[in-house]
Amino acid sequence: MDFSYKEKGLIASLGVTLLVFGWYFYGSFTNLKLSPEPPGFVEIIILIVLIAVLESIIQVFVSFKNKSQLADERDKLIEKISYRYSYWVLSACIWFFMVHILLNTWFDHLPILTTPGGVFHLLLLFFVLAEVTHFLTQLYYYRKGF
Amino acid sequence: MSQQTLAEKVGVTRQTIIAIEKDKYSPSLEVAFRICNEFSVPLEAAFNYK
Repeated sequence: MDFSYKEKGLIASLGVTLLVFGWYFYGSFTNLKLSPEPPGFVEIIILIVLIAVLESIIQVFVSFKNKSQLADERDKLIEKISYRYSYWVLSACIWFFMVHILLNTWFDHLPILTTPGGVFHLLLLFFVLAEVTHFLTQLYYYRKGF
Repeated sequence: MSQQTLAEKVGVTRQTIIAIEKDKYSPSLEVAFRICNEFSVPLEAAFNYK
Protein backbone atom coordinates (compact mmCIF):
# COMPACT_ATOMS: atom_id res chain seq x y z
CA MET A 1 0.00 0.00 0.00
CA ASP A 2 1.30 3.39 -1.00
CA PHE A 3 0.30 6.03 1.53
CA SER A 4 0.52 9.75 0.86
CA TYR A 5 2.35 12.03 3.30
CA LYS A 6 -0.98 13.22 4.66
CA GLU A 7 -2.12 9.65 5.31
CA LYS A 8 1.14 8.77 7.00
CA GLY A 9 0.72 11.76 9.28
CA LEU A 10 -2.83 10.70 10.13
CA ILE A 11 -1.76 7.13 10.86
CA ALA A 12 1.03 8.39 13.09
CA SER A 13 -1.30 10.77 14.94
CA LEU A 14 -3.85 7.97 15.38
CA GLY A 15 -1.14 5.69 16.71
CA VAL A 16 0.13 8.28 19.17
CA THR A 17 -3.40 9.00 20.43
CA LEU A 18 -4.24 5.32 20.86
CA LEU A 19 -0.90 4.58 22.51
CA VAL A 20 -0.85 7.46 24.99
CA PHE A 21 -4.55 7.39 25.90
CA GLY A 22 -4.64 3.59 25.83
CA TRP A 23 -1.87 3.52 28.40
CA TYR A 24 -3.58 6.24 30.43
CA PHE A 25 -7.04 4.63 30.39
CA TYR A 26 -5.62 1.18 31.17
CA GLY A 27 -3.98 2.59 34.26
CA SER A 28 -7.00 4.68 35.22
CA PHE A 29 -9.80 2.14 34.74
CA THR A 30 -7.93 -0.65 36.47
CA ASN A 31 -7.36 1.58 39.50
CA LEU A 32 -10.83 3.09 39.78
CA LYS A 33 -11.63 1.25 42.98
CA LEU A 34 -8.30 2.31 44.47
CA SER A 35 -8.57 5.92 43.34
CA PRO A 36 -12.17 6.97 42.73
CA GLU A 37 -11.31 10.65 42.68
CA PRO A 38 -10.63 12.40 39.36
CA PRO A 39 -6.99 12.81 38.36
CA GLY A 40 -5.20 16.06 38.98
CA PHE A 41 -5.58 18.88 36.50
CA VAL A 42 -1.82 18.96 35.99
CA GLU A 43 -1.78 15.28 34.95
CA ILE A 44 -4.31 15.89 32.21
CA ILE A 45 -2.51 18.98 30.95
CA ILE A 46 0.78 17.05 30.80
CA LEU A 47 -0.94 14.26 28.87
CA ILE A 48 -2.47 16.63 26.33
CA VAL A 49 0.78 18.56 25.89
CA LEU A 50 2.66 15.29 25.41
CA ILE A 51 0.31 14.22 22.65
CA ALA A 52 0.48 17.64 20.98
CA VAL A 53 4.30 17.60 21.04
CA LEU A 54 4.49 14.05 19.66
CA GLU A 55 2.04 14.87 16.88
CA SER A 56 3.98 18.03 15.98
CA ILE A 57 7.23 16.07 15.78
CA ILE A 58 5.55 13.52 13.56
CA GLN A 59 4.12 16.24 11.30
CA VAL A 60 7.59 17.76 10.90
CA PHE A 61 9.06 14.43 9.79
CA VAL A 62 6.12 13.64 7.53
CA SER A 63 6.04 17.02 5.79
CA PHE A 64 9.84 17.29 5.54
CA LYS A 65 9.88 15.94 2.01
CA ASN A 66 6.44 17.14 1.05
CA LYS A 67 6.73 20.42 -0.83
CA SER A 68 3.07 21.29 -0.66
CA GLN A 69 2.01 21.66 2.95
CA LEU A 70 -1.10 23.76 2.44
CA ALA A 71 -4.46 22.00 2.52
CA ASP A 72 -6.28 22.12 -0.79
CA GLU A 73 -10.03 21.77 -1.44
CA ARG A 74 -9.97 17.97 -1.18
CA ASP A 75 -8.15 18.07 2.17
CA LYS A 76 -10.60 20.64 3.52
CA LEU A 77 -13.62 18.65 2.32
CA ILE A 78 -12.36 15.44 3.90
CA GLU A 79 -11.63 17.30 7.13
CA LYS A 80 -15.16 18.76 7.20
CA ILE A 81 -16.71 15.33 6.70
CA SER A 82 -14.54 13.80 9.41
CA TYR A 83 -15.53 16.54 11.88
CA ARG A 84 -19.18 15.75 11.15
CA TYR A 85 -18.73 12.07 11.98
CA SER A 86 -16.69 12.78 15.11
CA TYR A 87 -19.44 15.18 16.23
CA TRP A 88 -22.02 12.40 15.81
CA VAL A 89 -19.92 9.98 17.88
CA LEU A 90 -19.42 12.55 20.64
CA SER A 91 -23.11 13.45 20.62
CA ALA A 92 -24.16 9.80 20.84
CA CYS A 93 -21.83 9.21 23.77
CA ILE A 94 -23.08 12.30 25.62
CA TRP A 95 -26.72 11.34 24.99
CA PHE A 96 -26.02 7.85 26.34
CA PHE A 97 -24.55 9.34 29.48
CA MET A 98 -27.43 11.81 29.89
CA VAL A 99 -29.95 8.97 29.63
CA HIS A 100 -28.00 7.06 32.26
CA ILE A 101 -28.12 10.05 34.61
CA LEU A 102 -31.88 10.41 34.07
CA LEU A 103 -32.66 6.74 34.56
CA ASN A 104 -30.02 6.25 37.24
CA THR A 105 -30.57 2.55 37.44
CA TRP A 106 -28.91 0.89 34.47
CA PHE A 107 -25.28 0.76 35.49
CA ASP A 108 -25.20 1.50 39.21
CA HIS A 109 -23.05 -1.54 39.82
CA LEU A 110 -20.23 -0.19 37.65
CA PRO A 111 -17.81 2.10 39.54
CA ILE A 112 -16.96 3.83 36.29
CA LEU A 113 -20.36 5.51 36.27
CA THR A 114 -20.80 6.18 39.96
CA THR A 115 -17.53 7.68 41.15
CA PRO A 116 -16.33 11.18 40.19
CA GLY A 117 -13.09 9.72 38.87
CA GLY A 118 -14.97 7.19 36.78
CA VAL A 119 -17.25 9.83 35.33
CA PHE A 120 -14.28 12.05 34.51
CA HIS A 121 -12.45 9.26 32.73
CA LEU A 122 -15.57 8.22 30.87
CA LEU A 123 -16.12 11.73 29.55
CA LEU A 124 -12.46 11.92 28.54
CA LEU A 125 -12.91 8.58 26.77
CA PHE A 126 -15.80 10.07 24.79
CA PHE A 127 -13.54 12.86 23.53
CA VAL A 128 -10.84 10.37 22.61
CA LEU A 129 -13.39 8.24 20.72
CA ALA A 130 -14.46 11.33 18.79
CA GLU A 131 -10.82 12.12 17.98
CA VAL A 132 -10.18 8.56 16.81
CA THR A 133 -13.30 8.77 14.64
CA HIS A 134 -11.91 12.03 13.19
CA PHE A 135 -8.67 10.30 12.18
CA LEU A 136 -10.28 7.10 10.89
CA THR A 137 -12.83 8.96 8.78
CA GLN A 138 -10.10 10.97 7.09
CA LEU A 139 -8.09 7.85 6.40
CA TYR A 140 -11.15 6.15 4.95
CA TYR A 141 -11.92 8.98 2.52
CA TYR A 142 -8.29 9.42 1.52
CA ARG A 143 -8.15 5.71 0.64
CA LYS A 144 -11.57 5.13 -0.83
CA GLY A 145 -12.30 8.51 -2.36
CA PHE A 146 -15.83 9.80 -2.92
CA MET B 1 3.61 17.78 -17.78
CA SER B 2 4.14 16.03 -14.48
CA GLN B 3 1.46 15.63 -11.84
CA GLN B 4 3.39 17.89 -9.48
CA THR B 5 3.68 20.64 -12.10
CA LEU B 6 -0.01 20.43 -12.94
CA ALA B 7 -0.88 20.46 -9.23
CA GLU B 8 1.18 23.59 -8.63
CA LYS B 9 -0.34 25.39 -11.62
CA VAL B 10 -3.88 24.45 -10.66
CA GLY B 11 -3.43 25.12 -6.94
CA VAL B 12 -3.99 21.67 -5.47
CA THR B 13 -1.76 18.92 -4.12
CA ARG B 14 -0.28 16.17 -6.24
CA GLN B 15 -2.40 13.66 -4.30
CA THR B 16 -5.53 15.49 -5.44
CA ILE B 17 -4.44 15.25 -9.08
CA ILE B 18 -3.84 11.53 -8.57
CA ALA B 19 -7.28 11.13 -6.99
CA ILE B 20 -8.89 12.96 -9.93
CA GLU B 21 -7.09 10.73 -12.42
CA LYS B 22 -8.16 7.61 -10.53
CA ASP B 23 -11.76 8.82 -10.43
CA LYS B 24 -11.69 8.95 -6.64
CA TYR B 25 -12.46 12.66 -6.43
CA SER B 26 -14.59 15.09 -8.42
CA PRO B 27 -12.92 18.51 -8.37
CA SER B 28 -14.76 21.77 -7.97
CA LEU B 29 -15.73 23.70 -11.10
CA GLU B 30 -12.94 26.17 -10.51
CA VAL B 31 -10.29 23.45 -10.37
CA ALA B 32 -11.82 21.65 -13.36
CA PHE B 33 -11.69 24.85 -15.45
CA ARG B 34 -8.10 25.52 -14.37
CA ILE B 35 -7.07 22.01 -15.44
CA CYS B 36 -8.74 22.45 -18.81
CA ASN B 37 -7.11 25.85 -19.27
CA GLU B 38 -3.68 24.31 -18.68
CA PHE B 39 -4.25 21.82 -21.47
CA SER B 40 -6.24 24.25 -23.63
CA VAL B 41 -9.14 21.86 -24.02
CA PRO B 42 -12.86 22.33 -23.37
CA LEU B 43 -14.37 21.02 -20.15
CA GLU B 44 -16.18 18.16 -21.89
CA ALA B 45 -12.92 16.89 -23.35
CA ALA B 46 -11.31 16.42 -19.94
CA PHE B 47 -14.29 15.49 -17.77
CA ASN B 48 -17.39 13.42 -18.32
CA TYR B 49 -20.33 12.49 -16.16
CA LYS B 50 -21.26 8.85 -15.64
